[in-house]
Amino acid sequence: MRSGYYKETIVEHINLTDSTLQRAWIGIGLLLVIAAPFHFEFYGLSLITLMMITAIGAMGLNVLTGWTGLISLGQTAFMVLGAYAYAISTESWGWPPLLGFVLAGIVPAIASVIVGVPSLRLTGLYLAITTLASAFIVNHLVLEFDGLTNGSSGIFVNRPVIFGYAFDTDAKFYYLTAGFGILTILACLNLRRSRIGRALIAIRDNDNAARVMGIDLRAYKLYAFVASSFIVGISGALYGIFLSFVTVDGFPFLLAIEALAILIVGGMGSIAGAILGAVFLVGLPEVTSFVFSWMGSSAQSLLSTSAHEIKGLLYGLIIILFLRLQPHGLMGLWQDARRTWTLWPLKY
Amino acid sequence: MNYLAELLASGLAVGAVYGLIAMSFAIIYKSTGLLNFAQGEMGMIIAYVAWSISTSVDGNPFIVALGSIGFAVLFALAVERIVIRPMMSEPILSQIMVTIGLSVIFRSAIILIWDGLPHNMAIASGNQLVDLGGVRVRAAQIAVLVALFAAIAGMWAFFRYSRFGVAMRAVASDDATAQLMGVSSGKVQMAAWAAAAVLSGVAGVLFAIAYELSPSLYALGLKAFPATILGGLDAVIGSAVGGLIIGVTENLVGGYISSGLKEVAGFVIIILILMVRPYGLFGEKRIERL
Repeated sequence: MRSGYYKETIVEHINLTDSTLQRAWIGIGLLLVIAAPFHFEFYGLSLITLMMITAIGAMGLNVLTGWTGLISLGQTAFMVLGAYAYAISTESWGWPPLLGFVLAGIVPAIASVIVGVPSLRLTGLYLAITTLASAFIVNHLVLEFDGLTNGSSGIFVNRPVIFGYAFDTDAKFYYLTAGFGILTILACLNLRRSRIGRALIAIRDNDNAARVMGIDLRAYKLYAFVASSFIVGISGALYGIFLSFVTVDGFPFLLAIEALAILIVGGMGSIAGAILGAVFLVGLPEVTSFVFSWMGSSAQSLLSTSAHEIKGLLYGLIIILFLRLQPHGLMGLWQDARRTWTLWPLKY
Repeated sequence: MNYLAELLASGLAVGAVYGLIAMSFAIIYKSTGLLNFAQGEMGMIIAYVAWSISTSVDGNPFIVALGSIGFAVLFALAVERIVIRPMMSEPILSQIMVTIGLSVIFRSAIILIWDGLPHNMAIASGNQLVDLGGVRVRAAQIAVLVALFAAIAGMWAFFRYSRFGVAMRAVASDDATAQLMGVSSGKVQMAAWAAAAVLSGVAGVLFAIAYELSPSLYALGLKAFPATILGGLDAVIGSAVGGLIIGVTENLVGGYISSGLKEVAGFVIIILILMVRPYGLFGEKRIERL
């Protein structure tokens, strides 16, 4: 009986995949992503688009929280900055959307250096508080500079036209989002297996040991901040286009909690976990409304009057239950299942 | 001059509310090393329960006080036992996220159980205006200041003289040694949660009497963060002083600079404090840093 997979060289170790089966599954997954608009109508398609945007944001947060172990409660700040950078540059200044997307990554990245530098000395609890504070400050600044941001009335955002091709229908916007999603996955996978990615993991696992190995903690923590907020900023811009309207109210504080909940549900530090978690949490309200409609009309009217509260209640319960019962998330469950499958009938 | 006096008076009153909640943060942090992000929400729930009691007994202040303090203690003990205790050995991220999860649940539960509308809470003569040498304040605003000073005195005496207070300080300074000396850290944690809930409940109820009772009351918890960071996360009495400073600063900023900046003044202070003096004005210098 096979006792496990063994990798003998560094190249084998950092290869993204070495199994034909996995390649086949990736191919099937890509086909499904391409085929989705032919099967799903408006609502289903917009739900999948939202899942993808959320997954991009969650992968961004994963770089900071999952890999480097820095807790951030201020991801909404970078989403807001990304969305506004895109909206202002394309709608107010008339820049091409591709440049808008670049700006949507760069502006939050610069802002993250400003937030990151004073936070570098802090860990754990204190970092959570500074990032929380900076989220509120960014929201305030956006409202204050109303000449640029239109204040609380917000900015309308059109679907982008890139190289003369208009992403004007839901299906086309879905493909654009899918493209960004695949790019993000590739970027994250490659970052993870590079020198930087290994350094980030080392910092999370034991920062003193990492420092002894010659990892410059300040530089690498800043890398993590910048990379994370670049990706989160892009997801913010996509979310702005998705809503076709950018305001501060479109990015409530609940979004930052949702992002952390996604990582917890999916499994900290795993890219597949971030995607699974996003699918799970975005799909959750739909499942709930299905269950409520099945429970009868009084439950349905409760759902329609207080949807936001029920969503909050569910997020809270999911966070607590997962942390309590399945701290490694869905990916942990999957790994347990796989181990049981290979080793059965032995325990280990 | 009168404008300044009014700003100072209302700043001190709201600062006392922040101070009480900041004290609750500090009590829990000092004895368990956990920052309870749901503290403001707990104060809000207690205020709602007090309101429900007051409407059914025609605002008899003694029954309301007894009922809501009793509820606060039971509620805190239940939360601590069911949700927090099993998480104490988990990494810091899990602990933070559990309390954040609790805060989201409480916030939603308030609107589902009661409603989302603001209410007027009238207990005794709490919302009557009192004239203090030209500055008009509500009785509840004076009451909250009195409550803060009573809490400061009570906490000081408690930590200084009572057996339990000494045990709490022992657990705070070295958990393992305290346990070897026969201190039950579980009991200390229960006491800390109960005391914190009562303090933030008093803050929530008095704030609701002085202003109004609404589901946005939880924001008091967020506003109390700057206070406890300024005073020092492990400094109970320092946090109370921090609350007063934050309250007055906020009102002065709101009165003289801009009302938008008033909302975030506290958060700007957090970032400045954490950059310059992360352990706060009165805290112990043993913060994690690299």
